[in-house]
This record gives sequence, structure tokens and C-alpha cells, in this order.
Amino acid sequence: MKDSENSRIDSPHFDEMTGMLYLEQQFDDNRSKLIEAHANSCASCRELLRVLKNETVWLREAIVEDEEPVPARLVGNHEKGGAYWGWLAALGFGAAGAYTLWNGIVEPWMARASDIGFTQGNLMTMLFFSGAFWSGWADVRDGIEFMAIATLGAVAIWALRRFFRRPTRVATATVMGMLSLALLMPHTTAAADTEHGNPSYTLPAGQEVKTDLFVAADRVLIDGDVDGDLVVWAHEVEVNGHVKGDIIAFTQELRMNGTVDGNVRAFAQATVLNGTVGRNLMAFVQTVEVDEKSSVGGTVTLFSQDVQLNGPIKGDILAFVNQLEVDGIVGGNMKVKGNNLSVGSTAQIAGTSAFEGPNPPSVESGAKLASPIEIVMSKPTPQYSTWRFYWHETLRWGAAFLLGMVLFLLAPGAFLDATHSAKKVGLSMGIGLLFLVGLPVAAIIACATIVGLGVGIVLLLIYIVAVYMSQVFVGAWVGERLLGAGIGVGPTLARLALGLAILRVIRIIPFVGPLSALVVIVWGLGAYALTVQKRMRQQSVIA
Amino acid sequence: MNSTELAELLSRVRSGDSDAWGELYRGYAPAIFRFCRRALPSREDAEDATNEVFMKVRQKLGTYDASRPFTAWLYKVASNHCWDMLRRRRIRQDLETGDIETLPLEHPDPGQLELLQAEHTSKEVRAGLEKLPDRARMALVLRYFGDMSYDEIAETLGVRRAFVGVLLLRARHQLREILQGGAESAREATAGGKL
Repeated sequence: MKDSENSRIDSPHFDEMTGMLYLEQQFDDNRSKLIEAHANSCASCRELLRVLKNETVWLREAIVEDEEPVPARLVGNHEKGGAYWGWLAALGFGAAGAYTLWNGIVEPWMARASDIGFTQGNLMTMLFFSGAFWSGWADVRDGIEFMAIATLGAVAIWALRRFFRRPTRVATATVMGMLSLALLMPHTTAAADTEHGNPSYTLPAGQEVKTDLFVAADRVLIDGDVDGDLVVWAHEVEVNGHVKGDIIAFTQELRMNGTVDGNVRAFAQATVLNGTVGRNLMAFVQTVEVDEKSSVGGTVTLFSQDVQLNGPIKGDILAFVNQLEVDGIVGGNMKVKGNNLSVGSTAQIAGTSAFEGPNPPSVESGAKLASPIEIVMSKPTPQYSTWRFYWHETLRWGAAFLLGMVLFLLAPGAFLDATHSAKKVGLSMGIGLLFLVGLPVAAIIACATIVGLGVGIVLLLIYIVAVYMSQVFVGAWVGERLLGAGIGVGPTLARLALGLAILRVIRIIPFVGPLSALVVIVWGLGAYALTVQKRMRQQSVIA
Repeated sequence: MNSTELAELLSRVRSGDSDAWGELYRGYAPAIFRFCRRALPSREDAEDATNEVFMKVRQKLGTYDASRPFTAWLYKVASNHCWDMLRRRRIRQDLETGDIETLPLEHPDPGQLELLQAEHTSKEVRAGLEKLPDRARMALVLRYFGDMSYDEIAETLGVRRAFVGVLLLRARHQLREILQGGAESAREATAGGKL
């Protein structure tokens, strides 16, 4: 008897378990005969067997019944797999991208990052700020190298996708994660002082904050001393006191008149430096003015519109600017990429100087340069006549395809759903526009709190990856429109490759290209958002 | 498709013929999707799972023993995959172990069971099925959709064979409770409406 331990027929009637196991033929012959004999003489048990048997049929029919339509992509025509070329090409371009990434970007910028103060010393800085402030983003965004980061992001999103289907868990996990990070921080960081202005915040002269200081206010005035880092979100920031760590500022205007022993890192509209910076200055700022009375002990790295450097800088200058005017002393090398470079008569540059831009640099007669400026004249528009331009475009296509392939292989359902969502053009574009504008705003608002800071930065990084991914979904949709629905890995990837190639070709058409890129971003982002929303809703209904 | 045709098709798939793979996929994907749809809580999960099952099938086709029915092997791959998906999510609400003592062993009222069957459509049963704990739902699907033996169910779900019957009966009880709950709510609502 196979399941004798589960059955009982000691009582006048056998139980339900015995009846079910008998009907499912789980008993040996002897036991079955006993049950049959009992059922023949017992109307009640016979009735039980009959009803249980009916229940099995009823259950089986309900389970097997084919009511829900099978998704079209699972039953469509499977075409000849011919995407081996696509795989090979993608892997080739991926390898080329990785090689370019390492040799052209990662290695030089790692050295650069180390020079400008992004060391392992401050976990808070490394975790939250290195990524967002990393000066290589501009290059990365502009190049094939973004592929690697986007792919990693996609892998991370995939790894968390089960959690993403449960919004409450996501929120809990994110908050818990941020709290865990906070707990892991070094003691000095964990003990940071947090201030909210009402609406402004002032640290009076003579007062000292003996730890890191985080301030969110309309106007922030630091006349006193901070024995740690100063991290500030404000409309205006003025520092007249002494900050012994770094200043990290998200503000419209930063005016630094005091002394900073560490680095100054600014996201601002305008930054004016009248004081002393012990180490490095890094600014993502529209206008920067370094006064002649000020000094920078380390390097200066700038992503700006207009910059005027009048004060002495001990280290190197690296600037991606529209216009740079140098009138002070530069102790290291100077490398500038932009439209205009002007070296004034009082300028002294001890190291080498290099400029890349469309206009020749102007050097006044009194300027003292250790060596002549190395000039690379570049055209502001794509060089359609050079093979290099097409090579880069091909690499960009390869990168997008590689990302799409990884997405499809890791999460085929989500990938195909997003492609399907892209069919709802109007809805996708509406939602995409909402996300394109709303998400960064939400992330910046989230940054107003300490726990929200991490969430906000993570949100921004996810946003950047999602914006890049958007072309994949639209590309897949375009391919599907042209070749029809594809079933299986090969045909789906072939359609993706074709669609992305078409988008890339449109992208390089003057005037139309940038507009098409914006449309693709809005459209793809909306399709992705629709997919995420749909899955979350379904999960919440089930839960 | 008879067994000779299937054997030939599988042979072509093994040799890398993508047309053959397409034919195999087209022939079996709908059934596997339906199986996954019953086993998993959402349609999207089922679509994901169907694609992933076929990727596994392609990788594992070399291990298929031609003496066994192909469909059974396919369902076995699918059931393992679905159960893995559910297990990874850690949302199983039922207990890992249980014993027969927790089940009512009295003689149930056949009249009530018949009434329940008569009152509920297949659609309602399927909706009830989706509300079952994962393991209970899997047990019913493996048994009544996949036609798996108790041994196969035990192996897939990682339980003792003797426990399979308990699982199945418990799943039936839970389903009855879900359906009865729905019916009572509906009756109350109707009564409330009349008042």
C-alpha cells in the first residue's frame, strides 16, 4: 500500500483522503479491493467517491480549459534564425566598446579622479557623490562607453525586477538599504549635523560645527567653522568661515569667501571663488569666477559655460567650457576643450597647454607659457566625410544592440512587453514626457532629505539608464513593424538590430536627428514606464 | 504529430536546424504558456516563463530521453522552472511541512460538494486557483494539467511522496473555502440588495 499512512478506514465510513487516493489509483490492489467492497455495501461512501470523482473532473476541466488567448508573439510565425551575424557583430562592437572604455576613459579618469580628490577616504563621498560628480560623465554620455554602464544598470534592474513588481517592498528595501548604508558609514559621517533653514540658515561667526554639516535652506550663510564636510542644498550659499573638509553644494549661486581645507564640488548656476581652496575645485556650473585674491591648492575641473580664472591654481586645469579666460598662475598643465580660450597678459602656465575647439585661442603678449599651446581645431558639426564618424556611429549602434540583447535575454517578457507598449504611441509619448520631466524633479526633491539623498541619486542614475534604454524599445518596435512579429531569440534580435540601425541613420540627419532622438527618448521611456506600471498593478491585484 | 515525426523533428533541432526549432516552438509554446499561466500568478510571469523554458529546452534537449513522452519531459522542465521562480520569490504562504492530522478526516457532505461544483463556473475555479498558496496551486496544476505522477510531483516540489496526497487534498479544501467565501459574499450582497 503506497499511502497507507495517509488513509484510514477504521471507522464505518472511509475518509476523504482515502477516497481521493483510491480514485487517484494510489493504493495497491488489496487495499483498492477493500475500498471497493466497502463502497459497494455503503451508499454514503459510494456517494462520496462519486462526488470526489466529479470534483476531479470539474477541477481538471477548469484547469485545462483554454480560455485566455496565448500571446501573439508566442504563436506567431517563427522565422529562420539568422541573427548569428548580429550576435557576432554585437560581441565585436561590445569588445571594441569595452576596450575603448578602459583605455580611453576608465584608466585615465581613474588617475584623474585620484588627482582631484576622489579617494576611498570618505565613504559618503564615494557612495553618493563620486558617481554623480564624476567628471567623466560628459565623455561617457557622449560615447559608446555608456553602453557598459547602461548594461550594468539593466542587469541591476533585472536582478531587482521581482522586487520592482511589489512597490511596497521596493520602498521598504530602498529605505532599508539607505539606512543600512547610513549605518555602515564611518563614525564621523554618521554623526553629521543636519539643518533645515526656516527659510534661511546661518552659522554665526565664532561658532563651530564639530562634524559634517548638511544644510537644506533657501539661503545659507556660513560665517562660522565646520570641522568636517559641508553638504548644502540652497538657493544661495555664502561661505565666509572655515570648512575643514569638503564643500559639496547644489545651489543657484555659490560664493566662497572663506577657507576650505578640502575640495569644493559645486552644482550651481554661478560660482564665485574669493577664498582659499586647499585641494581641488570641481564645478558643473554655468559661470565660474576665480578671483585673483583666491587660490586653489590642487586641480581645477570644470564643466561650464563661461569661466574666468584670475587666481593662482597650483595643479592642473581640465575644462570643458564654452569660453575660458585665464589671467592667473597655473602650476600644472592646462587642457581645455571648448569654443574659445583666452590667455591674458598676466597669466603664467608652468606646464603644458592644450586646446581643442573651433576657434584659435588668443594669447596676449605678456602671458608666460612654458610651452606653446597645442591646438586641435575641431568642427562643431559631425564630420560626415570622415570614416571615424561612421565608425563611432556604428559603435553606438552596436552598444545599443548589445544592451537590447542583454535586456531581451535577461528579461524577455519585460522586453517584449515594453516593445508591445510602444505600439500605443500617443499614450507612451504622453507618459514618457511626464517621466522625462517629472522624474528628475522628483529625484531632486528627494535629495532634500538625508535618507532621500541616496534615493534621489539612485533615481537619477536609473533615470539616465532608462533614457538610454528607451531607444532599444523603440528600435525593437520599428524592426517589428518592418518585418512583422518575430518569435524566438534570433528573429527578435534581428528586428532589434534593424530598428536600431534605422534610428541611428535618422539620428545623423542634420536638424531632424536631434528631434528624432528626443522623440525616441520620450516614446521609449513611456513604453517602459507603462510596462512597469502594468506589472506593478497586476501584482498588487494578485496580492 | 506522431512519434516518428517528433523524433525526426527533434533530431533536426539537435543538428541546429532553426526551421525545425521554430516548428517545435510553434507546436508546444501555447501549451507551455497555458501550463505556466496556471502555475504562476500573472500572465506576464507566464510569458517570461514560457520564453525561459524554451531557452532551457534548447540547452537541455541533449539530455532528453526519447523513451519517455516528449510532452511529459517538457512539462517537467516547465514545472521545475515555474517552481524555481516561485521559490526564488519567497512568497510561499503555506508551510513547508504538514501532516495529515491538520486535515479534516471526517466524511464530507457530498451534497455540499455537489452544490459547490454546480454553483461555480470554470472561470471562477481558475480565479480561485490564482488565490491559492503557490505550493497548493502548483500541486493541482502538476496533477491535473501536467498529469504528473505523485513521484514526479514530489520530486518537483521537493516533498516526501507520501505528502503529495496531503498537499492535493489540502489544496482542494483551500479552493473550496475560497469558492465558498466568494459565493457567500455574493449571496450576502444579493440579500443586502434586496433589503
